[in-house]
Amino acid sequence: MRRVRGWLLRLRGIFGKKRRERELAAEMESHLQMHIEDNLRAGMTAAEARRQALIKLGGVEQTKEIYRDRRGFPVLETLWQDLRYAARLLRKNPGFTAVATLTLALGIGANTAIFSIVNAVVLRPLPYKDSSRIVTFHTKTSMFPAFTLPLTWPAFQEVRAQATPLEEATAYWETDRTLTGRDQPEVLPVTGVSSGFFEELGGRAEQGRLLSEQDHQAGQDRVAVISNTLWRTRFAKDPFVIGRQLILDKEIYTVIGVAANGFSFPEGSEVWLPLSLTPEIKQNQKFFRFDVLGKLRKGEKLETLRAELGAIGQRIAKGNPSLGKDYRLSAEPLLDSRVQDARESYLVLLAASTFVLLIACANLTSLLLARGWGRQREMALRAALGASPGRLQRQGLVESCLLALLGGAVGIALAAGILQVFRAIAPGDTPRLNEISADWTLLWFALGSSLVSGLVFGLAPARRAARMDPNDALKEGTAGSVGGTSRFGDALVVLEVALAFVLLIGSTLMMQTLAHLLHQNPGFRTERLLTFDLPQPPQWNRKDSEGHAAGQIARLKDMLAQVRRLPGVEDVVASDHGILNGMMFEHAGLQLEGALPEYSAVAEGVIERYISPRYFQMLGISLVRGREFEEQDAWGAHKVIVVNEAMARRFWGTLDVVGKHLTVSTDDKGTPEWNEIVGVVGNVRDVGIQDEAGPEYFLALFQWAAGSHYLIVRTQANPDALASTISRQIWASYPDQPLTHVMTLTKTIAESVGDQRMHTVLLGVFAGVGLALALLGVYGVVSYSVARRTQEIGVRMALGAGQATVLRMVMRQGLTLVACGAAIGAAGAFGAVRVIASELYGVKSSDPWTFSGGAALILLVGCLACWIPARRAMRVDPMVALRYE
Amino acid sequence: MGERADVWQGTLALMVLKTLQALGPLHGYGIARRIEQTSGDLLAVNYGTLYPALLKLEQEGYISSEWGTSDNNRKAKYYKLTRAGRKQLEREAREWEQTTEILARFLSPGKESA
Repeated sequence: MRRVRGWLLRLRGIFGKKRRERELAAEMESHLQMHIEDNLRAGMTAAEARRQALIKLGGVEQTKEIYRDRRGFPVLETLWQDLRYAARLLRKNPGFTAVATLTLALGIGANTAIFSIVNAVVLRPLPYKDSSRIVTFHTKTSMFPAFTLPLTWPAFQEVRAQATPLEEATAYWETDRTLTGRDQPEVLPVTGVSSGFFEELGGRAEQGRLLSEQDHQAGQDRVAVISNTLWRTRFAKDPFVIGRQLILDKEIYTVIGVAANGFSFPEGSEVWLPLSLTPEIKQNQKFFRFDVLGKLRKGEKLETLRAELGAIGQRIAKGNPSLGKDYRLSAEPLLDSRVQDARESYLVLLAASTFVLLIACANLTSLLLARGWGRQREMALRAALGASPGRLQRQGLVESCLLALLGGAVGIALAAGILQVFRAIAPGDTPRLNEISADWTLLWFALGSSLVSGLVFGLAPARRAARMDPNDALKEGTAGSVGGTSRFGDALVVLEVALAFVLLIGSTLMMQTLAHLLHQNPGFRTERLLTFDLPQPPQWNRKDSEGHAAGQIARLKDMLAQVRRLPGVEDVVASDHGILNGMMFEHAGLQLEGALPEYSAVAEGVIERYISPRYFQMLGISLVRGREFEEQDAWGAHKVIVVNEAMARRFWGTLDVVGKHLTVSTDDKGTPEWNEIVGVVGNVRDVGIQDEAGPEYFLALFQWAAGSHYLIVRTQANPDALASTISRQIWASYPDQPLTHVMTLTKTIAESVGDQRMHTVLLGVFAGVGLALALLGVYGVVSYSVARRTQEIGVRMALGAGQATVLRMVMRQGLTLVACGAAIGAAGAFGAVRVIASELYGVKSSDPWTFSGGAALILLVGCLACWIPARRAMRVDPMVALRYE
Repeated sequence: MGERADVWQGTLALMVLKTLQALGPLHGYGIARRIEQTSGDLLAVNYGTLYPALLKLEQEGYISSEWGTSDNNRKAKYYKLTRAGRKQLEREAREWEQTTEILARFLSPGKESA
């Protein structure tokens, strides 16, 4: 308490200084007078009395100084002095200040922006109640070993009933459903949720109520909760929305609530319905899978849950031998499942931006060191006048921190800009994209990293200034005789070049990856293609209803014919899902006729695609054997199949498989239906541009009731221009048919490499900035050394050294540094780029061309950076240089 | 060096408090003289130590000060003990006695075995 009081009073002591000063003087004066009076009384002469009193009392000014220190906070006061002094200095050297501020702003801005992204995506908890305790579940099966799958309904029930560490578990199912009855038909992401879903996530209703237990009872489950976004857009903030009808896939639901603004789980969901098990799901419980959310009890560990799930999984597998022995049941934190691979690539970006900051700091250190040499005499004078080494050092650090804060302020603006750009170029499926924004965290981080950088880059120059012996410095009469180059400064430049080199290699590898991806030839003609998704409401393709299926096919054929007649359309075909958008359907459990012995029954998943006639011809896919689908392969006709080369070679070991049979399905009684292969086509990449073509077979779309339809249109000119014409044509005849994902194939491909593009752009920018800063560093160090050696160079030239010799000497000095940096950087890059090895495509992380090219580039630019000072050195006039002496 | 100064500062504060308790309100010069006299002129008190010590005690609230007039009509700043200062004096005096007692036991070997 007393302490605190003392501190407060001292703080007050900073103010009202003059009055206190007068009081102190008066008090001491009266003390002195009293002493003199006593001395007089003791019989001294007046002069002697005064002299004795003064001797006794010691130095008046010293006492005042100690008193002042006790009265206020000397540290604070000198800090204020130092700050003002530093500010004056910065104002006096606008060029230096601008370069330093900009350098730091680049470093701090890049680092802060990326940290904000990492914080928003990876570090910050998800915006749900107790989100750290929420886990998701998945299974692994031997049928699809490469994938983790959600849970079947029985598995969900087992987990819910038996996993003791769980407080609650709910299932949900994401589907797309078509909203009709209001304007144009629209496909909405809809989530069916089991009871307890909203409670588990802590969701709230802004209007009405959320789903409750009784909404899940049969007969009362035609109710819906809509998202705030849907309410604002589609319902125009209708205040009477509760009780209104919502027509989804022609089924009528009553709106009972609007979710609170910002509640969005699963991300993007617009409508939540009670999860109801349709007869179809009940019959095929093995195939329908549900995402499951669980909440751990307080204090329970994920490991405990995983151990229990392992046991539950074994029990389930024992009861269902068909699942295979590799059946696994596991859980992971919701955040992990949401963020997935993003974590790693963001950390790479964070590391890259930290490199930029380090380069900026190293640059500033050498700038300040260089300036420190110039200010040696000033420092020496201050030391001679009584400034302690500590005080000089503090003054230096105050200067660097002030500079860093300036840089930080500009850096914050820069970071906000980078975030804007990031949000613009990040692919739409980037997790938690909408949570990324410039916020307080950004501000604090920028402030923190500014101060830390200020201390880091300011420490060495400040210590050097403080360590210097004023005697020596003041004796040095001439500028020219100050020692040679600074080892420390050289080391800094080497470090900068090394860091920049690592960035350069990393970004070059990413650029090559992107270039390879964009120029990857998928094996078919991708130009002027426009694709449409035509979602099919589920009741249109029920397998039990032949009429429905036939109607659906007739509808599709009519749409194809109408589109084909439009001017500007070259051709149009249909398939059941898109090309090169990453979508694929795998079918496992094929039976093959006459295949290689080990493949008589294929357990692995093979890609399946339903296509219309003319598909191969239109896309320019080569026909290797047999024929492609024709109009005769119609509903009810003998079902036929086309396979690709990869499939024929893998399973039969030959391309001559026309006439062979395989089964993809069974009839109602479980007897396999054997379908004939009528053709073999060339391999193309149709799933994703980076995925090698694997075994794939094609079914005739018009012979089956496929669950979805997709149009692929080749236009005569710019495909973008035709998109709306085609949509209008289809809506004119089929007003309830939604059209989604209307895109040119070029754009689909661009989006499929969106992640790589974003990383390449950011890494490229960081590498560019890092390289520029490092070369600025080289330039600075070399030109500074030339300036300091002007006299030496003059002497050399006077003694007969030619201009070429001088040029060589300076270039050698600079390029040695660059070469050392590049060598160290190459070693570092060799290790560092391994972390991005998994993102690379078409280029190895240790690609010798990249490394040698990078080294050549950095040496070349290094030459440029040394050239300017070297020429300056070459032009030194010996007479002028010597006259300095 | 720092440590010895601290000890001196600490004991000086105690002496100041004791002086103010014994003599009532007093100016800096009076305090200094009193301490010197009591110590039998073994201690010399100068401005450099006395005034910062007084300021510290005042900041901590153990003494308070006001301007007044001395016996021979001179303006001087008078210091007096506060209630907190009285308590502090008791506490410190007790501690000091204890310390000296303990040290005394160490320094007089005759009593060790007793």
